[in-house]
Amino acid sequence: MAVFADLDLRAGSDLKVLRGMVETAAHLGYSVVAINHVVDFKEKKQEIEKPVVVSELFTTLPIVQGKSRPIKILTRLTIIVTDPSHCNVLVACTHLDVDLVCITVTEKLPFYFKRPPVNVAIDRGLGFELVYSPAIKDSTMRRYTISNALNLMQICKGKNVIISSAAERPLEIRGPYDVANLGLLFGLSEVDAKAAVSTNCRAALLHGETRKTAFGIVSTVKKPRPSEGDDDSLPACKKAKCEG
Amino acid sequence: MATLRGLRETPRHLLVCEKSNFGHDKSRHRHLVETHYHNYKVSFLIPECGILSKELKNLVMETGPYYFVKNLPLYELITHEFINTFVKKGSCYALTYNTNIDEDNTVALLPNGKLILSLDKDTYEETGLQGRPSQYSGRKIMKFIVSIDLMDLSFIMDSKKYERISWSLKEKKPLKFDFLLAWHQTGTEESVMMSYFSKYQIQEQQPKVAVSTLRDLQCPVLQSGELRGEAEASCSAPELFDWLGAVFCGVDPNNEPNNFISTYCCPQPSTVVEKAYLCTVTGFIVAEKICILLEQLCHYFDEPKLAPWVTLSVQGFADSPVSWRESEHGFQKGGEHLYTFVIFNNLDYWLQMAVGANDDCPP
Repeated sequence: MAVFADLDLRAGSDLKVLRGMVETAAHLGYSVVAINHVVDFKEKKQEIEKPVVVSELFTTLPIVQGKSRPIKILTRLTIIVTDPSHCNVLVACTHLDVDLVCITVTEKLPFYFKRPPVNVAIDRGLGFELVYSPAIKDSTMRRYTISNALNLMQICKGKNVIISSAAERPLEIRGPYDVANLGLLFGLSEVDAKAAVSTNCRAALLHGETRKTAFGIVSTVKKPRPSEGDDDSLPACKKAKCEG
Repeated sequence: MATLRGLRETPRHLLVCEKSNFGHDKSRHRHLVETHYHNYKVSFLIPECGILSKELKNLVMETGPYYFVKNLPLYELITHEFINTFVKKGSCYALTYNTNIDEDNTVALLPNGKLILSLDKDTYEETGLQGRPSQYSGRKIMKFIVSIDLMDLSFIMDSKKYERISWSLKEKKPLKFDFLLAWHQTGTEESVMMSYFSKYQIQEQQPKVAVSTLRDLQCPVLQSGELRGEAEASCSAPELFDWLGAVFCGVDPNNEPNNFISTYCCPQPSTVVEKAYLCTVTGFIVAEKICILLEQLCHYFDEPKLAPWVTLSVQGFADSPVSWRESEHGFQKGGEHLYTFVIFNNLDYWLQMAVGANDDCPP
């Protein structure tokens, strides 16, 4: 099994709150968290803010409860596209180079999921994300969350589903086993619900990493620049080129 | 509708109850105690008892010691020196500490010489050892079990198999864990574990003993021949199991109306005992010591006593990769695997074994 991950901690302007959220996540047992920067894609040329630098946030990363390892912090970018002509879920599933498709919970879905694009998305390795912190805050959101989730489950049968908090405060995060139980309410089976917090998150992260590689097999690593005194290395490289 | 039906189901759990007598030839009690390797908590409850006899007290104080080593590389457990010093000369137990069986890599050494590695997909592929996928893995196989027989290896020194395992754990993917170790020696040598692992930070620990005397406890009435209980005459084995759990949690079995925590009631018919002795030992406890404790509790009834029965409960580590013998153990929402002996004054006993969702049926 994979370690537990929460892939959606909303980045606010207050670093202290963010620090509190990461510490709470570590205390609850999450080994991986991703700090999410949300961008509303309205104008054509828009400045995307710089992501939070992890070293600014913590000098020593908090240790995950029950283990001897520190928590791993990643960053993530979410783009909201509201213009239906520009891009809709259908297009996102089949063409766009993304890792996760988030299902909105703030309103009843205006469209129904159709099986063909969802199947294409699953084949491509896309994940569908459900968030639960709006459900904690408001009872109307709770109804929409559950009904949207059940719609999704009827089509995708519980494959490639991720559940994460869209937490803006430490109190909105729940423990991994509790979130797995919440998955049962969304229509997932017991095994799928646990995978939604662990295995499928790991798959989404790997999908993100492979975007920089060729078919997920070959990757390039930037070689450190040799200093002025290292003249021996240059002729060796030239030699290799001639022979190859 | 399918969701609603699914929500009403509880996660799978199994309770196996059987009855026998200690004097019986084919009684499996010894075998079952000895093959439940990783024991975390041992508790016994003696009704109508205020103080413990000297023999029991000494036994309880001598259930240790066990050792804790930090950052021990795994290849140290497959060196010939380790196998000859510890595995062959007694029962050596080891379990990784602070690793969750459903998330991380876990390693356990069983006293029969088998080293069980429960690895996640990435680590399994990196070590390159031969193993089989876990039974409780789900849609995608994410967990693999590798089983290395150390007793088998040591006979074939410098064989290809040993070399490959050694290379894999030393150079290809050196794994390091915090370990809990315990050794029950068959000879009379002193414990040399402290000196053997002196270059790693090894600490000797003693199991914690917690003792309490419960007053005016409601106990169910049991008949040793009737596992299922008899209406109005005795309680059934599952009812006793629940009651014992309530006692260990310190829950008041009176179902008072203002009790916020529990509405549990003692099963009927029941009697009230004036006092009962509850002793709990927590640590990394070897199976041999539990066998000796069980025998001593049987001797409790050598002299006539007021108590109709005594119980001995043993709980296993939630993060151990095996439950009984080499049956795989997993953690779904809870990782319990435990057994309870109810010993009657005529040396009949009830044995209850319970496992959680990701477990095979107990033997």
